[in-house]
Amino acid sequence: MTSLRKVAIVGGATTPFGLRPLTWAELAQEAGGALFHAVPALDAKDVDSLFVGAAEPERFAFQSHVAPLAAEQMGLTPRRILQRTELACASGQSAIRSAYAAIAAGLSDVAVAVGVEKMNLPSMAEANTSMACVMDRPWDGVHGATAPPFFAMVAQRHMLEFGTTEEQLAAVSEKNHRFANTNPTAQFHSKKFDREKLLRLPLVAPPLRLGDCSSMTDGAAAVVLVAEERVRQYTRTPAWIRGTGQHSSFHNLANAGSLTEWPGLRAAAGEALRSAGIGLAELDFAELHDCFSISEIVEYEALGLCPKGEGGKFAADGRSDLGGDLVVNPRGGLLGCGHPLGATGIAQAVEVFQQFAGTVPAARQVPSPSWALVHNLSGSANVHSVMVYQGAS
Amino acid sequence: MATPTKGRAAQVEAAPAEATRTPTEPRKEKATAEARPSGPFLLDFYPLEDERSTQLSRFYESLKTGRLTTTRCAKDGLLWPPRLVCPRCHGGELEWVDLPNAGHLYAFSAVLVGAPSGMEGDVPYVVGFVDVEGTPLRLFGRIVGTPWNECRIGQPVEVETFSIPDGRWFYRFRTSGR
Repeated sequence: MTSLRKVAIVGGATTPFGLRPLTWAELAQEAGGALFHAVPALDAKDVDSLFVGAAEPERFAFQSHVAPLAAEQMGLTPRRILQRTELACASGQSAIRSAYAAIAAGLSDVAVAVGVEKMNLPSMAEANTSMACVMDRPWDGVHGATAPPFFAMVAQRHMLEFGTTEEQLAAVSEKNHRFANTNPTAQFHSKKFDREKLLRLPLVAPPLRLGDCSSMTDGAAAVVLVAEERVRQYTRTPAWIRGTGQHSSFHNLANAGSLTEWPGLRAAAGEALRSAGIGLAELDFAELHDCFSISEIVEYEALGLCPKGEGGKFAADGRSDLGGDLVVNPRGGLLGCGHPLGATGIAQAVEVFQQFAGTVPAARQVPSPSWALVHNLSGSANVHSVMVYQGAS
Repeated sequence: MATPTKGRAAQVEAAPAEATRTPTEPRKEKATAEARPSGPFLLDFYPLEDERSTQLSRFYESLKTGRLTTTRCAKDGLLWPPRLVCPRCHGGELEWVDLPNAGHLYAFSAVLVGAPSGMEGDVPYVVGFVDVEGTPLRLFGRIVGTPWNECRIGQPVEVETFSIPDGRWFYRFRTSGR
């Protein structure tokens, strides 16, 4: 590892997330505009590489070969590495991870990682068909498996095995929606949800209600990554990439094993923290993949923030809130911000950069953060991807 | 839905693949090993099952006689889904075996909104994990026979196979008791 170059994120921007009147290409263009506005020192001709996180443009936008499309939309002409990264819900983090690897290895000096997803279509059945294809389509998707019923079964088993309650699920959603109210780019920026209101929302896949589920979202986000010697050219508050870890356990649902144990997350986070040389106690906040409220609860447990089975109580007691053990999802999470698959992992990194820079609204600013962990799961929580960042201090 | 017999082959009146059958394509009344629907295929959830399309055509052939089968590795045991190469020892000497017809629900949920194309008419539908009796397999599938709010963990289910109108076959689970 010592032969690798150090890499930092030196700036980034997120487009508004939601039901947007923009095409896939227009979202990429908007992200480009936002990025160059947010990083004034960035010169397009210095960007030697572009990594494009996009989960299903073929399905949602009937468009392949999206890396050069995004490059053109953003006004970039990459000359070293241009590629798309696809890992379903973790496609954005994959773009960052690939850019990191390229710069660390010396194959790139200045790279942009952009994530774009257009998910809202006139026919939501078509959008849901695309989501079912994330599963093992001829064996699982064919039965009508989409994400909500899978994670609903995780919740059902967690309730059975550990006594987790609907109120505890709502505590996760309430916290993340409250944080999203401070984030103008969040899909639910202007919508207030208290626990009582969340518990009255309609069931989507029992026991999960509408407020337990992240949305179909249009959005894009972009970050700039550079090698150590270029950092000062762009910012005084870089977010250094210190550790990464990833684990793939299965794909066909029959091979999921226990629904309530996610050993792949424990492995990925262990690798990321080990490579960063820190433990959980050093973390100041975490962006965890709350595609569903139950996901965040299982993630507390898999990370080791609380004993197995006590994730629901951990949320309900405010231990993942500001002032608690570890602030989780100050950005507003996927529940509050929405989940444009390819953009989510990039938007989380933008939050990390802005938290370190101290530029987020006070209502969600973590006090003087030094270390952050970012997690994305993909598919049926069969793959876990984790990155660890350190602030400038 | 037709009224299939438990554990035996059954016909279904309508299925998602119907939408992908072009108007000029005559409906195949009888399932054959050569069943091969015309396109477009890319929004059709059901796999192409014939010998020109997959090395697992025998799996689908067995469904016609009501049997759910899979492959077993002499060294590593039952594998799901059926395989050509064992993922553990990477050997290719796998044999086809019949799975028991019975199992019980390990977990279930229902799709109340947000169904994929072709499945909108099935809403609300139940999906679940089934522990297959006498095996370590926990299979995922569509659960029919009991409304979602009356299903329970541990409920017995049986394998049911069925044909879709273009002659391809598939499987699901039917609740067999309370």
